Amino acid sequence: MILTLLKRELKVARRNWIGLAIPLLFFIIVVSLFPFAVSPEAPVLQKLAPGVIWVAALLAMLLSLEQFYRSDYQDGSLEQLLLMSSPTSVAISKILAHWLLTGLPLVILSPLLAVLMQINYGSAGSSHTWVLMLSLVLGTPTLCLLGAVGMSLTLAASRNGLLVSILIIPLYVPILIFGASTVTASLENMRYNGELAILGAFLLIAIVFAPFASGRALKISVG
Amino acid sequence: MSQSQDIQFDGLYAHELTVSRSEQVLLEDADLHLAPSTITYLYGENGAGKTSLMRCLAGLLPADHGVVYWNKKPISHPDSGYFQDLIFLAHSLSMKNELTIAENLRFYANLRLKGRVHQKSLSNDISGVLRELGIGGLENRMFAELSAGQQHKVALARLMLEPAKIWILDEPFVNLDQKTRGWLADKTLAFKEQGGVVLFTSHHHIDELPVDQNVGVEHE
Repeated sequence: MILTLLKRELKVARRNWIGLAIPLLFFIIVVSLFPFAVSPEAPVLQKLAPGVIWVAALLAMLLSLEQFYRSDYQDGSLEQLLLMSSPTSVAISKILAHWLLTGLPLVILSPLLAVLMQINYGSAGSSHTWVLMLSLVLGTPTLCLLGAVGMSLTLAASRNGLLVSILIIPLYVPILIFGASTVTASLENMRYNGELAILGAFLLIAIVFAPFASGRALKISVG
Repeated sequence: MSQSQDIQFDGLYAHELTVSRSEQVLLEDADLHLAPSTITYLYGENGAGKTSLMRCLAGLLPADHGVVYWNKKPISHPDSGYFQDLIFLAHSLSMKNELTIAENLRFYANLRLKGRVHQKSLSNDISGVLRELGIGGLENRMFAELSAGQQHKVALARLMLEPAKIWILDEPFVNLDQKTRGWLADKTLAFKEQGGVVLFTSHHHIDELPVDQNVGVEHE
């Protein structure tokens, strides 16, 4: 059942790719402007890099949330999905599709931004890039999962973009802190296992609770 | 629910149902029985709560009070199989603009039948229904490219492609030409002959469709 839902999501997204490209473009543009605005020197950029890349990734995810559930809610198909399958599986398929279409591309693009921000500078450069990708792999799904809960809670409110931001940014902050500090630790040649483990723990907790919570909230929003 | 043993009615039975919308009570302690092989016409003015009642019977809008039973079991009970048996066509057509007609219809059929359907014969069925509806050959057109009437026909095609035992139809006759109204009336009667339960709303009396039961919703 989840597979049927997922296939539909991906098909709709393929026909509507511009909407998905905007957050990615935003991500690239924000990060690529920093070397121009601050300084192209490696030590300066390296200091800023983890924070800048993670903030940009977080904002890009926030920007993409607008598409979560919204069009399905407006054209009435969300109602049909909830009638014909369980709310949790609707949420799971949406979250999975959303991560594949926004989170995964962010991860794939991040080495490019690592070059721009001079993260790959020096002998240990490539391992820093790997750490950045790993932190995004563990962090972005959590952003998707939390965002799904926020979106499903506020679906019935018109102009819910602002409301969602206020609601979930406080929840995003811990992920931002540990995501960015993972990369910082790696750049300073310190151990980063602890930070990664915490990111992983956040992800596991979110996987357990968020689809269920999002599904329940969808039921309420539609009712 | 402990009362469920007491219910003697087959089909859909709403017991002491209270429904409200935006703090306004639309229906209070109403009993409603939709027996197998009956067609029920739900009438009422705009805003009287026809759609809310339908959404409540479809399990989308929680009732303030009361229980809806399907074949003697509460609809929320997994054993009732209600959501397998129900097709609820709302006013919104629930189709994606980004998908073709065939993709939209195939998605819903696969979701209902949990993929246990022969895709080739499903495609044939879709072509057949669309031909009957006078939009044959448009399977691969994007849903967004159709006219309002044609889009409405696509939503109705679901009734023929998904097996069900109860249809709840919100304004199914709106936007339809004479020929399609006749088609829908025929199909509804055929569904009734097979033991189906039908509940529909309409602003106008539908001459083509003889009704077994009239239910009115009124403003206070």
